[in-house]
Amino acid sequence: MAKYIGLRLLQSVFVLFGLSLLIFFIARVVPGDPARQALGLLASQEQVERVREQMHLNDSFPVQYYYWLRSLLHGDLGVSSYTRRSVASDLAQYIPATLELILFATLISFVVGQVTGVLAGYFRNSWFDGVSRLVSYLGIATPSFVVAILLLFVFSQVLKLAPGIGRIPIMMQPPPVRTGFMMVDGLLAGRLDVTVTALKHLLLPAFSLAVIHIAQEGRITRTSIVETMQKDYITLHKVHGIRTSRILFKYLLRPSIIPTVTVMGLDFAFLMSNAFLVETVYMWPGFSRYAMTAMLNKDLNAIVAVVLVIGITFALVNLIVDIIIMFLDPTVRLRQGGA
Amino acid sequence: MPNASLLLEIRDLHVGFRIFEGHLRVLAGVTLWVAEGERVGLVGETGCGKTTTVKSVLRVLPIPPAIVTSGEILYRGRDVLRMHRRALHVLRREELTAIFQDPLQSLNPVFTVGSQLRDIVRDSMRTPEGRVLSRREIEARCIQALEETGMPDPERIMSNYPIQLSGGMRQRVCIAEALSTTARLLLADEPTTNLDVTIQDQILRKLDRLVDQKGSSVLMITHSMGVVRDLTQRIYIMYAGSIVETGPTRQLLASPKHPYTQGLMASVPRLTGRGVSEGIPGRIPNYLEPPPGCRFHPRCPHRMPECSVEAPPMSDVGADQRAACYLYRRSPS
Ligand SMILES: Nc1ncnc2c1ncn2[C@@H]1O[C@H](COP(=O)(O)OP(=O)(O)OP(=O)(O)O)[C@@H](O)[C@H]1O
Ligand code: SF4
Ligand SMILES: [Mg+2]
Repeated sequence: MAKYIGLRLLQSVFVLFGLSLLIFFIARVVPGDPARQALGLLASQEQVERVREQMHLNDSFPVQYYYWLRSLLHGDLGVSSYTRRSVASDLAQYIPATLELILFATLISFVVGQVTGVLAGYFRNSWFDGVSRLVSYLGIATPSFVVAILLLFVFSQVLKLAPGIGRIPIMMQPPPVRTGFMMVDGLLAGRLDVTVTALKHLLLPAFSLAVIHIAQEGRITRTSIVETMQKDYITLHKVHGIRTSRILFKYLLRPSIIPTVTVMGLDFAFLMSNAFLVETVYMWPGFSRYAMTAMLNKDLNAIVAVVLVIGITFALVNLIVDIIIMFLDPTVRLRQGGA
Repeated sequence: MPNASLLLEIRDLHVGFRIFEGHLRVLAGVTLWVAEGERVGLVGETGCGKTTTVKSVLRVLPIPPAIVTSGEILYRGRDVLRMHRRALHVLRREELTAIFQDPLQSLNPVFTVGSQLRDIVRDSMRTPEGRVLSRREIEARCIQALEETGMPDPERIMSNYPIQLSGGMRQRVCIAEALSTTARLLLADEPTTNLDVTIQDQILRKLDRLVDQKGSSVLMITHSMGVVRDLTQRIYIMYAGSIVETGPTRQLLASPKHPYTQGLMASVPRLTGRGVSEGIPGRIPNYLEPPPGCRFHPRCPHRMPECSVEAPPMSDVGADQRAACYLYRRSPS
């Protein structure tokens, strides 16, 4: 098993290496003269030449790549031309905000999606199945920012049940930043009020993001439950008198959940860069919005960092998904791990 | 003959499947019974509806596409087809057990053998005083059940996943699961079809002894004449969804009366399980439009005009032997 995980890690490193080459190409080769780009049109030729020397731009591409990668690994991602701050500190601020949001969204979609999927599948063609099908189609068809605006309007404006925009109210003194996760930082600073408020602020945007995934993943689980239910082994579990609840949430769920886990991983990685509309609606200072702003402003250093982060997210999520599946499915485990 | 000690009785069962192309009329009036302590064989070529019959009794047909259009299934006089969920669950847990055709499909691939076996014992066994079994008792019962099937090293097998076991071992696990509890009626659907001949024989003999010890009744489905001859007292011959002949096993095999059974006997390669239909020209009918009357008439060498009009009733053709065929219509009874 360790061998399998090691192998997958190696694969991920390989993928990231490929990605870094691609990004290097975008960052260094495509723009023409990065030194001129960095200094602007008004800089003198000597200045440009000096920077070219500093940036090793006069060396061959492999040497340039080496220096570029080295500074990257040291966390030196350059300065954002839009925020005028170092890209690294931008990322340190925005990534945790988005992670907190989409982790929560994924949790919601997992719990709600699986429970409805399992029940709809087990009670196939019942009223519950019918209602959940209808709601799912609605959920799939409605764009998440529409859900976001609706929820904000109904729960925050009209019913006043939920707070509005942002991670915490402007009046509230934020805790010192340690992890960047507001709920965690609140706990670390011993400020339970911050953690609770942050959680309340998370609910609406996280749910807005979760809706479509609840619908999709719920449907996938339902289909896969229905399929698994036809299997002889489930029939025999019933015939042999195993309790219904045990069949439902043990023997039926585990084999059925495997296809959903893969989709869930992809959904999570997808949200990383596609939460920007919801982040915009809720004024969420997140990575998705940062990424969008970078694109719109042709902020090259930021774009490079964004592409890199998204690539790493996909690689990591895939790795985690594979490991989870390996635990769920002994067939994979035994085949790959060599007993 | 039906009598007081009747365990299972199927009366005129009709089951179909609604599929895209239309309605498959598969079971067309299956009538059979199993008495307490009796071993009964059900024989017929592939696709004749044996598995459908077993799944109807267990109430595990996939509905839809399956539909039971008419008929009755009585277990000790109680109507299985109209039973409520709760009663059905108790019936399966305490009275019925089954072994299915394909050992590769019969075990849950993502749980260990031990996990499945333990849950069966935990949920369906009680001590004589009605107490739930302790952990140790459950473990001991599982190991014993595996040992009884002749499985070597049962402790290790318990921690294995199904894919780590050979077909023969998996089928032993299935037998252990079926016999781990105290069920009264075993429905064995071709328990050895997918195994090689030597292992088939071994496993069947083991199964035979186990059933003997427990005094269970068995409905044994097979296409092997050798198996029925050795292991059953009474036999039903099935063709295209209905019973065409029944009687005491040895007597019926020695003097088959129905033309289908006769063809079957003539074509059976001695004692090996395979190839039931080889000697009879033609194929099993299309269930979308089954032949009217006797479903065997397109293949029957003795066919008469009335054979394609109405299905023939059962007639006595010997001591306790009956056949559904117009050839015996006026036979003295
Ligand atoms: N789920 C299903 N959907 C549609 N048709 C089915 C289904 N199950 C069975 N049938 C039909 O019922 C017929 C009888 O199937 P069944 O499995 O009962 O035969 P069998 O006698 O057990 O054959 P075998 O010896 O191959 O196991 C098949 O020919 C098939 O057309
Ligand atoms: S009823 Fe007619 S067709 Fe059917 S088996 Fe008898 S003789 Fe043949
Ligand atoms: Mg079958």
